[in-house]
Amino acid sequence: MIHTQAIVIGGGPAGLCAAYQLASHGVHTILFERNTMLGGQLIKQTHKFFGSEKQYAKTRGFDIAKKLITDLEPLQDKLTIHKNATVLGIYPDKVVTVMKDEQYFKYQAEVILVATGAMEKVLAFENNDLPGIYGAGAVQTLMNVYGVYPGKKIVMVGSGNIGLIVSYQLMQAGVEVLAVIEAQNTIGGYKVHASKLRRLGVPILTQKTVMKAMGTEVLEAIQIVSLDEKWNPIPYTEEIIACDALCISVGLSPMHQLLSMTNIKMKYIPELGGNVPLASETNETSVPGLFVCGDAYGIEEASSAIVEGYLTGLFAIQKLGLSSSDLHGLIQDYEHQLQNLRSGPFGKKTRIGMDKIKEARNAF
Amino acid sequence: MEMKPTEIISFYFNGVTLEGRVGDTIASALHAAGIMVLSKSIHHHRPRGFYCAIGNCSSCHMTVNGVANVKTCITPLKAGMQVVYQDGKGVLR
Repeated sequence: MIHTQAIVIGGGPAGLCAAYQLASHGVHTILFERNTMLGGQLIKQTHKFFGSEKQYAKTRGFDIAKKLITDLEPLQDKLTIHKNATVLGIYPDKVVTVMKDEQYFKYQAEVILVATGAMEKVLAFENNDLPGIYGAGAVQTLMNVYGVYPGKKIVMVGSGNIGLIVSYQLMQAGVEVLAVIEAQNTIGGYKVHASKLRRLGVPILTQKTVMKAMGTEVLEAIQIVSLDEKWNPIPYTEEIIACDALCISVGLSPMHQLLSMTNIKMKYIPELGGNVPLASETNETSVPGLFVCGDAYGIEEASSAIVEGYLTGLFAIQKLGLSSSDLHGLIQDYEHQLQNLRSGPFGKKTRIGMDKIKEARNAF
Repeated sequence: MEMKPTEIISFYFNGVTLEGRVGDTIASALHAAGIMVLSKSIHHHRPRGFYCAIGNCSSCHMTVNGVANVKTCITPLKAGMQVVYQDGKGVLR
């Protein structure tokens, strides 16, 4: 068993920022990342971020990742980073088991911060398992990280920001986006992203969904249908679109699996994307010393994950009983930033979700 | 955004030599070579490609260098790798 003060699980924006605060305040920290690269999903995000300067607005996602990783370089005497290291289990006595290079390791820490991120949701329709049907993030990974074309003619399902941004990036890469399909009666994402697509001539079809996919070994075509106000398919509105790839961008759900292993109190909260822990105001779960941050604690944008990562790192430092003259001020600043990020109309779901967590926690 | 072509490396898919590039994952190299069906599902033997590309969904499992159920979407491609199409659960050795 290897002992340390703090363990951070996940090397995406939340995990990197949590580790930054811990290590820069002198806490011996180990970060585990299962991938070969740090930065999480930022590494495939080629678009510039919105928001304020403090959350790296106007900077492209992969450049934000570089910045966050560079910030950790001077902290090497306090922070150990293990890449290609998959955490297999968390136990209530704050033991974490890890697989690295085909070997099994056990670690124990005083505080554990879970920043496992999210996974893409799937959509139920006939033949939805045909090769050629991908999550929108998968297409983005294939294209922007590995430089491989996902297909030649693509249909995007979902007009949230991810659907819109990935569609635009596909067009930039020279892939034909035949249409963006949206089941609701309005476009889900920011109008600025939708306008860019419309200027390129990509139709955004609202109140439509995919009925089925067709193809023997791989995707060859899809059938779409119009929906009425109650989301029922309208007969005789079916249309067939020939395409070799279909992108599913219908949202994300928190990666709760490791947290669920510990028997902590959790709840399904649709506004946050799925199962989330009923954590406290300081992001501490019902197991003392076990913290959560980023998309694992409710789906938001990377900017929020960055701020929540910093903040949760600071909360964990408080939990360890360490004092630092700047702690209080930093916490106030990040809390304020997070509040700002969640204040607009696009933060509504998060605000409702957070209220539900509070309510459910009090009910226990 | 710029993507510089990296060195070409060769590997085997079902015994046939294919080319990929340094920095590829097994799945990205196969996809670039036009191979989208990576395995067959366990019960109904339906064709499977990858879905998430970040190691979450288990849709991209293949047998690599004799090891079954390798997540090919996150496993870096290496020269000389023996990648084999997997029907069902694969075989433990």
